[in-house]
Order: sequence, then C-alpha cells, then structure tokens
Amino acid sequence: MRLLLILCLVALVSLAGTPTAQAHEGHDHGPSQAVATALPRTEAQSDLFELVAVLGPDGTVTIWLDRFSDNAPLDGAVTLSLDGQEITAQRQGLGLFVARHALLAQPGQRDIVFTVTAGDEMDLLTATLQVPDVPAAAGPAIELLGFLRELPVQLGIGAGLLLLGVLVGRGSVRRPLPPLIEEAPAQPEPIPATQKPAVPRRVAALSLIAAIASAPALASPAVPGTAVPSEASRRLDDGAIFVPKASQRLLTIRTQMTEAGEASASVRMIGTLVPDPNASGRVQPSQTGRLEPGDRGFPTLGQRVERGQVLAYVVPTYTAAERGGLIQNAAELDAQITILEARVRRLTTLRGTVAEREIQDAQTELAGARQRRTAIQPALSGREPLVAPVSGVVSTVRGAVGQLVDSAATVFDIVDPSRLWVEALAFERAALDQITGASATLTDGRVIELAFVGRGLTVRQQAVPVNFRVVNPPADAPIGASLLVTLRTARAVQGIVLPADSVVRSAEGPPVVFEHASAERFVPRQVRVQPLDGTRVVVTAGLDAGRRVVVQGAGLIAQVR
Amino acid sequence: MVTRRSILGAFSVLVPTIASAHVPAGTRGPNGGQLQDVGPYHGELVARDGEITLFLLDHNDRPVAMREASGTAIVLSEGRQQTLPLAPRPDGTALVAAGEFKATPSLRVVVQVVPRPGVARVQARFTPADPMQ
Repeated sequence: MRLLLILCLVALVSLAGTPTAQAHEGHDHGPSQAVATALPRTEAQSDLFELVAVLGPDGTVTIWLDRFSDNAPLDGAVTLSLDGQEITAQRQGLGLFVARHALLAQPGQRDIVFTVTAGDEMDLLTATLQVPDVPAAAGPAIELLGFLRELPVQLGIGAGLLLLGVLVGRGSVRRPLPPLIEEAPAQPEPIPATQKPAVPRRVAALSLIAAIASAPALASPAVPGTAVPSEASRRLDDGAIFVPKASQRLLTIRTQMTEAGEASASVRMIGTLVPDPNASGRVQPSQTGRLEPGDRGFPTLGQRVERGQVLAYVVPTYTAAERGGLIQNAAELDAQITILEARVRRLTTLRGTVAEREIQDAQTELAGARQRRTAIQPALSGREPLVAPVSGVVSTVRGAVGQLVDSAATVFDIVDPSRLWVEALAFERAALDQITGASATLTDGRVIELAFVGRGLTVRQQAVPVNFRVVNPPADAPIGASLLVTLRTARAVQGIVLPADSVVRSAEGPPVVFEHASAERFVPRQVRVQPLDGTRVVVTAGLDAGRRVVVQGAGLIAQVR
Repeated sequence: MVTRRSILGAFSVLVPTIASAHVPAGTRGPNGGQLQDVGPYHGELVARDGEITLFLLDHNDRPVAMREASGTAIVLSEGRQQTLPLAPRPDGTALVAAGEFKATPSLRVVVQVVPRPGVARVQARFTPADPMQ
C-alpha cells in the first residue's frame, strides 16, 4: 500500500516536471525561414524605413522600426493591414511596437501592409509572413500526456492522491487488538495518545509534496506574450552574420550609406610629444650641494611657476679638507682683523704724535682684511638660488628637500602645456615635399591637429626628423608619449571615405567592413583601405557606392561566432 | 542519355527563373508606369490624379489577361490612407481603381491582386509618381 503511494507520487512529480523541459516545443519551424531556428519573421524596407516583424507565440508580432540609412530607431506609429483588417500596433519603446491578432496565430501565408508614420514621413511597406503550422500531436500517447499536463487535470490528480493518502494513512493507523476477553461493552475504546496526530502530519506532508510537484506545472503555461523575443546572433553558413534587431539595438549598430569621393593620400609615422624648445626649460645647479626649499616652499608637480621665480636653493657642500681650509682662513682673517682694529684704535688716539700716513695705512689694511672675510663668508654659509628659466608648469621633480644634488643634475623640468611640439621620423622622404596637413592620434584615441614647422637635414636612423607644432594641445597631453602622426599629402585617392572604426580585422587577416545587406544580415566585405587621418580611412577597393556599411559596432559584429 | 535529359530538364527549370529575374529599380513599363515584381509577374502601375491602373506582364513581358482578376489597392496620399477595390477594365487588359488622391511623388500604392480565381494572391508596393524610382 505504501509502495503504491510512493509510486503514485513519483509519477506525479515526473509528470509535472516535464513541461519545463519542453516549453519551447511550439517554436520549432521548418527550413523555409531565412535563418533556420529563428522565430518566423519578415522584413520590409523603403528608402526611408526599415522594418522587422517577428512573430512570437499566440499571434503576437513584435515590430522594430529603424531609419533605413543609419539604422537608428525611429519613433512613430505603425498600423498593420491584414486581409482588410486594421490593427494598430502598441508602442513598447523607441521604435518598438507590438501587435496582436487572431489571424496571426493561424498557420498560413499572411500578406501584411504596414502603414508607418514617423514625424512628417509616411510610407506603406509590404511584407509576407509565413505563420508556421502548430506541430500536431504525434499520437494518442502525446495527446494523453498533454491532457495530463493541463492544470485542472493535474490539480484533480493531486487532490485525488491527497485523498488516497489520507485514506491510506487512516487505514494504517494501528488499533489495539480486540481483547480476548470481553470487557464491559459500555467502556469507550481507548485511543493511544501517541497515534492521534499521525493523520494530520501525513496530510501536511502529502499536501506539501503535491504543492511542490504542481509548482512547475503552474509556472509553465504562463508564457508572457508581451516580452520581446530574444534570439542569439550567429554566423551563417555563407559567412554572413545574423544579428536580430533586438541585439542591434543593444549594440547600437549604426550604418552609413557609402558615397564615392576623393581624399588626399596620407603617410603615417611614429612621433613623440615634446615641449616647445622656446617654452620649456630645465633647472640645474652649478655646484654640488644640498637642496633647500625656496621662498614659497618646494615646487610640486603641476605647479604653475613664473619666469625668475626662485624654486629652491642649493647649499654647497665641501669636503672636510676644503671646509678645514676655509675655516682656517676665516679664523686667521678674524685674528688679523682684531689685531688691525686694535692697531687702528691705538694709532688714532695718538693722532698728532704719529704720522697721518701710518694711520691711513692701518685703516686700509683693516678694510682689506674685512673685505676678504666678507668674500669668504658665502662659501661658508651662502647658497645658490635655483630660478625658473621660463613660465610654465613643473613637469618633473627629481629631488627632495635635503637631498644632495650634483652639479648639472636636472632638478626640475618646466613646460608650458599650451606650447607643445611633435618630433617624428619620416622614412618616406618624397612625401615630405607635398605636405598639406598633419594630425596625430594619442594612445587614448584622441586626435590632435598639427602644423608643420620644419625638418632636419641630417638623417637620424636613416629617417628625416620632422618637427610639428601642436595646434591646440589638450591640457593633459602626455609629454614624451609616442603617437601616430598622419601626414596628409597633395596626392589624391579615389574611394569611399569611412570612419576608421568601421574597418575591422577579420579572423582570416585582411581588413573587412560589414555591409548591412538586409535588416538583420551583415555581410563581411574584404576591402583595401588607406589611412586618411586619425579618425577616417578611405576604401579604395572592395566596396561599391550606395551600400549601407556599419560604422558603429563593427567590432562587436566581428566577434559573433 | 540520362545526363543529357537531366541537363535539358534542368535548363527548362532554370530558363524561366532567369527570365523572371528582378526588375531593376527605375524601370518603366510599356505604358509609361513604374515596373515592379508582383509575385511571379511583372506589374506596371500607372497613376493619375484620382485613378490608378495596374497592368500585369508575364516573365516574357507579354500582357496577362485580367478579365477574371480581382484585388484591392491601399493608397497613401498626402497623409491619408484609403483602401480601394481594383476592378477589371472593360477591355480586360488591366485593373482600375478610382479614389480621391493626387499623383504626387509621395504617393504610395500597395496592390494585392488575385490574377485568376484559384491562384494565390500576390502583392507589391509601388511609388508610381516618384521620378527617382
């Protein structure tokens, strides 16, 4: 009896658990769709709009509306005409609409006319949607399974089992054996106190199990019709890449119509950002000494300093012998001054009895000794001021208060950040004769405009050093950093100008751009590109004019496997 | 022999496909209207103020008789959309629909046509008065 009960429960649990695994049964489609295993979909386009409609379960159509040329979502209104019936699609978000109709749930081919209104523009778009056959039940076994899986049936089974369990529990309660000897019939039968709560406990356990078993069955039929169907991007067999509109929105894929044009050819080289030689300077002491802070403290990085400002002092340091000699000299001079002072005093008191010439000699000698003592004084206690040679910002500090510095060691670099140069090495000497402009790309991708200043005549590493002035240097320009210099020359190239971001390196090696072939198909096109400036390239082969090319998010499409 | 026959068979299948290849944009039909693919046919739509006329041509660009044809035209003109019935012309060479619209470049027409009873419905979108198309 108990075994039977357990078996019944196991059967119930397994029955209730299966629907979750097969919940997507209705989404299977035949190979007639453009992309196998994608939801049934259709697309329509005009020279203004691009529209994708995806049929979800229960005849729900999700519609994405974008501008044809640049793939940006368009806000507006969409109305569907289906066999003469008008259905207004509800707006779900920017360029996202949902429409529902019973005809869309019936299998067959549906001709749909979309009336699109976006701003002042109105258009009619046509599309044909193939509503797939609902997969028929494969036999009575599946029908039975489906019948068993319905919610009221399951609830009924659960209630029946519960009742059965209660009955079994009640039946299995141990009863005292009938007494062999008949006792007083009036006495009520004593029920053991320990057996009493067994029935409610069993009922509770059974109802809990039934609730757990029926929980997935309750959850599975609630497939929300309003949710936007989610599909994965993937690479198709022909090399094209399928990116559903929902993913395109997330990745903010933008396109551009290609136009044939003319651009000036350019040459690329590596350069270094250096300070303008007339607006930068170094601070170096002329003798070995110890650093002491200036009048306004020790300069810090990024501090603005003016020309002539004392940044620090250098107190000269001497060896023991040098210092000993200096102190000895000073002591000798001090002694001599004392003697000479006494002599001058004595002689002046005897004025009239000694010759006036003798007094003057003594005074002159005293003045000379004092001057020599004064000349020695700076060597003993004097210090050398370190002065800013130009106005600018402290760019390097190599020293600390109290540090011993050698003579000619650079303690500070002063740079004017508004005046920067770029020093580059040009290997193509011919290109230098027809420079029309230049720009440089910083390591963080920012582009700065350059002006040609001059070129050296002596080659360095077999290349010509070229100097450029940065036209508008950014405040945080990294001085000393390498950057990519693009020289524009007078030579013209024919081709299609695209942003540099639209060209990506394919897995095979050659550079590719992604053509937006249809609403959700991106075809990689191998191209030959030449750099134009920091942000643009020119495609000279592999792409025609009048195509839509991905200019934003191309790198993300390239990663789709 | 089998191969030759199969090649011939393949040709007989392929040739009509090649002939009914896509109509390039900007093609004009024999009546001066815009030419488009309409299902397996080529359709030519001539629009005047208040009247549109639809001719159907087969893949060899021969006119198709339209005596038994029927259909509807959805016309979008100057921000107003109307659904008009398409009826055969007395001479049976074309379908005609009349309504209140102007043949401006922004005119958009969608035709849904059943060329013969028992044949699947076909549909196409026209921009008949747009000089760029």
